[in-house]
Amino acid sequence: MAHVITPLDQPSNYKDSQSRVDRQTQNELLSKSTTLYVGNLSFYTTEEQIYELFSKCTTPEDGGGIKRIIMGLDRNTRTPCGFCFVEYYSHAEALACLRYISGTKLDERIIRCDLDLGYRDGRQFGRGKSGGQVRDEHRQDYDPGRGGWGAQAQRAEIERRREVEERYNDAQDVPGAVAGGGGDWKDVSENPLKRARSPDDEGESGRGEPRAKMEEQEHDASRM
Amino acid sequence: MSYRRHGKRGHHADHHEQRDYYETPEQKLRKNIIHYGEVDPLQELPRLATQIFEHTPTNVPAVTEGFRIGVTEQPFKIPYYAALLRLLYDRAASEEATEPLGRLVLDDFWKAFREFIEKHAWREMRLCVHFFAHLTVARVISARSMYDLLDTFKEVIVSIDSTHNRSTKAALCVAEGLLIAGTVLKEDPSLDIFNLIETIQSFIEMDQKIPTKLLVQPVVRLHATKNVIQLGDTKDVLEHAGEWLSCALSVLRTLAANDFAHTADSVPQPYLDSPPLTGELFDLEAILVPPEVEEEGVESSRKGEWPQCYVRLFDDDVTPDPTTPVGYILRSNLFDMIDIFEVNRKECARLLLEYPKWTLPGTFKPKAGAPPQSPVEGKGWDLENTLIETILDAMLLLPESAHKSIYYIALITELCKAQPQSVGPAVGKSIRKLYALLADGLDVEAAHRFAEWFAVHMSNFNFIWVWKEWIPDLTLVSQHPRRSFMRRAVEYEIRLSYYDRVLRTLPEAMAEPSVQVMPESAPGPEFEYEEPESPYHEPAQGILNLLRGRAKPDDVMQQLESIRNQLSETIEGDMSVDTLLRSITVQSLLSIGSRSFSHFLNAIERYLPLLRNLAAGQITASGSPSADARRDIMSAVARVWRRSRHMILIVFDKLMQYQIVDPADVVAWTFTDYTLVVDGQAKKTFNAFQWDLLKSALDKANGRVTIQKRKVAALSREADERAARVLANENASMEVDGDAQLDAAPAGETPQLTAARNAIEVLHREQKAVLRRTMEGFLDYLAVSEAGAEDKTEVLTEKAWHNRANWEDDKWAIWETWGWFRNWVRTFAPYFTVGDNQQMLEDLAQSMYSAHPTHGGTRLFQAVWNIAVGQEPVWDDPEDA
Repeated sequence: MAHVITPLDQPSNYKDSQSRVDRQTQNELLSKSTTLYVGNLSFYTTEEQIYELFSKCTTPEDGGGIKRIIMGLDRNTRTPCGFCFVEYYSHAEALACLRYISGTKLDERIIRCDLDLGYRDGRQFGRGKSGGQVRDEHRQDYDPGRGGWGAQAQRAEIERRREVEERYNDAQDVPGAVAGGGGDWKDVSENPLKRARSPDDEGESGRGEPRAKMEEQEHDASRM
Repeated sequence: MSYRRHGKRGHHADHHEQRDYYETPEQKLRKNIIHYGEVDPLQELPRLATQIFEHTPTNVPAVTEGFRIGVTEQPFKIPYYAALLRLLYDRAASEEATEPLGRLVLDDFWKAFREFIEKHAWREMRLCVHFFAHLTVARVISARSMYDLLDTFKEVIVSIDSTHNRSTKAALCVAEGLLIAGTVLKEDPSLDIFNLIETIQSFIEMDQKIPTKLLVQPVVRLHATKNVIQLGDTKDVLEHAGEWLSCALSVLRTLAANDFAHTADSVPQPYLDSPPLTGELFDLEAILVPPEVEEEGVESSRKGEWPQCYVRLFDDDVTPDPTTPVGYILRSNLFDMIDIFEVNRKECARLLLEYPKWTLPGTFKPKAGAPPQSPVEGKGWDLENTLIETILDAMLLLPESAHKSIYYIALITELCKAQPQSVGPAVGKSIRKLYALLADGLDVEAAHRFAEWFAVHMSNFNFIWVWKEWIPDLTLVSQHPRRSFMRRAVEYEIRLSYYDRVLRTLPEAMAEPSVQVMPESAPGPEFEYEEPESPYHEPAQGILNLLRGRAKPDDVMQQLESIRNQLSETIEGDMSVDTLLRSITVQSLLSIGSRSFSHFLNAIERYLPLLRNLAAGQITASGSPSADARRDIMSAVARVWRRSRHMILIVFDKLMQYQIVDPADVVAWTFTDYTLVVDGQAKKTFNAFQWDLLKSALDKANGRVTIQKRKVAALSREADERAARVLANENASMEVDGDAQLDAAPAGETPQLTAARNAIEVLHREQKAVLRRTMEGFLDYLAVSEAGAEDKTEVLTEKAWHNRANWEDDKWAIWETWGWFRNWVRTFAPYFTVGDNQQMLEDLAQSMYSAHPTHGGTRLFQAVWNIAVGQEPVWDDPEDA
């Protein structure tokens, strides 16, 4: 159905300016991507608010769902700086957000969504000189939702600010600092303890590793 | 050819962008056809026809493509495309050609139609039928061949190979074709149009043997089931619920009764301005509609097996009545547009608002400020109300809408953004109408979607709503659907925003926590062992501190073991020490992960080994899953997030994802523990939140099967390809050397494939367990009476329903429980018929009924079940005999 009108889930001009892969590879990756970059968030918007809205595009009956949300943080202050990544289990879910959510409001701000190449360690931090997003470096307008608060802000906003400031003060930037969100279902009978009871099965070394780590590796391998 | 390319385009060879914008004359022509009429269809008509004629060399495929896209993607323009094609019939494309250009295009169009048939693209087929029907009225296509086409679709309706879905779609093709072309078909007495109408009628009647409508009408009458099955009394089925095909049928009856005189004021017929054609009429070739191929996965093929029932929100003078010819056509166009333009809600909104220009003058009220039109008797509807009503109908379709709710929600948002002055009030009126229906039996799932829409809509429009008009309803009992709605709407608004923001939008009388609209405080975690005076504060604090310091899972386990030793002597009450330790551990984990969803994920991912041991009823050792242990884990989660039920859903989802608990555990907990843990009182009732829990568990189990099937399909494709390669190599080597290298051939399946197939077996068992546990839960709640327990059938009689104004909370709660049971069977029915599931579930029901005396609840339970699985329901009521 692309003859009469242009679908909203076509690739946009958004790109990760620091990605080193060439344009064609980027396009290939985007055509399978399960990750969204979400921009123009209020600094006060929580992951649970994001979860609520973005779960409306999930298809759990098809094995989908929200895998994880990675909040974009100011490099220096470790406070949200107005963007995040939402990772789904399927590409179709990410596309649905471009059609139904991008350009609508969350926390009373019009947010934008774009397909993203996928989260890598370090990308959760702002790239602006002062630690936040580059767009906030040169912004001239007063934007209460994005740090432009002050006497005019509501008292409730100040209270929210205090909570927000504390929330991520434990954020780390070492590899593995961000959870994976859980992988595909695995047959539990493959667990080494059970395997030992079955003489037919050959044991595999390294199966006893915590699952989370293995999943993280698989995940990264499939990404690039 | 190659020369031209060099000369013309080679110039821009390295300017990729520029080449994209270059349009060939053919593309331009096609584009002009697709965008035909956007300023004024009648004015543009002769100009566009001339342009097509003058295009040299004549390019029939380009013209046909323009028509094909125009007709199937812009249903509102079909009458005008028919007028355009009629003009193309006036002369041949060039002096050498003998055939009129229109004939060549129609020949070519016919091929495209055949392709739609091959692909089972029913919407496209139906819209092509519209086009042919208009051309029949334009006297381009012969009435006889048009009739034969409709007759072919009639055969599909009655074919024994047809599913309900396929028959319905074929019936709509017949009905809509007749609706447009009946005025011409009736002229030839040898064409038996009444036979076509009667076939549709008998299909609808046949269908009523299993009154599926009872389960999907948006306004529910529980007593109607008995009345329909036992007495054949359908008055309650028809009220409020227009079934789409029945609408089409009554439209045809109306038209036929008046000799199709009303067609002209129902659909535009711009082609009638052209003089009659002199040459031979076009004969549509005979077609064959191939049978549907069995789709992969039985589950998907049963979707669409329900009749489409819509609710009317407004009176007939405000929005058109779909049982009238013009009302039906308007609705049909709007439904198609909403469906086709799903890919771009903004454009969809624009096209919907422009829709009146494609309708007959006077159909809709003129816009404010527009030149006044002479009013047309019985028309002059309100566009905005019509649009919102139609979109809401599509959104509230049961058991499932064609697209996700959020699409329809976003579409309404775009309409409001485009024309806030006129669409805003229409939205407000629709909300009030739906709210009013809540007291009159609006289906529980429809009410659920209504609350979701309300919250997301308000979140896009500054949360402004006139809450004060609902203040009088605060005197209703707490479980009344209207009060449940208010609570839920506010809960969803808080999820999208935050407590204080929503509080500011409510009038004082509603903001008061005692009236139970707003929760008492902002959502947040509760750690049972937080206060120094709370029991087990110290051991819990010890664990909490270890987790805070990111201690190794092993160290935490050691600490838990030592607490276990200390406490096993001193524990009070009937709680076991294991339950206590699970509660302390899980609550502590959630507590350190309570800052955000990510913190929670990090916390549980770090301590997965510990959680796995806990779920197996152990601490330091692993073991096989323990149902009790998993129950304790879930209850601990619910205690922590009691004031933020959204988090319970999120945490349970991830616990299933990490395989700490199974979907069947979640189902069991939802039925047996939810009310006790969250509401503090064990009850056998089911509410919207329990439905969310149940659905997430069922979806998880079904989703795993889907994923695994996809994996197996991919692996076996791989294996086949490998085998084919080996075979090819073999053949190649045989040609060189007579000795075939048989050893190199793959020995059957790869181990991965075998493992993947086995995994499906495991997952099928899990799926079965989930269905079984749900059935057991609903049976226990509704169909089994216990001595001394309250009867669950009091809400089932007509008399009781009419007395609902006096219902107390318990009655509404039972009514709602029935609603969710019905929702379960109609939504998940496709899974019941997989494998031996149905037998298993029916055996279970029998074993549970037989242990107790049968009562009205059992009968309704059975009847609802039978309808859902496609069996003729019976109602053997000894008292009524």
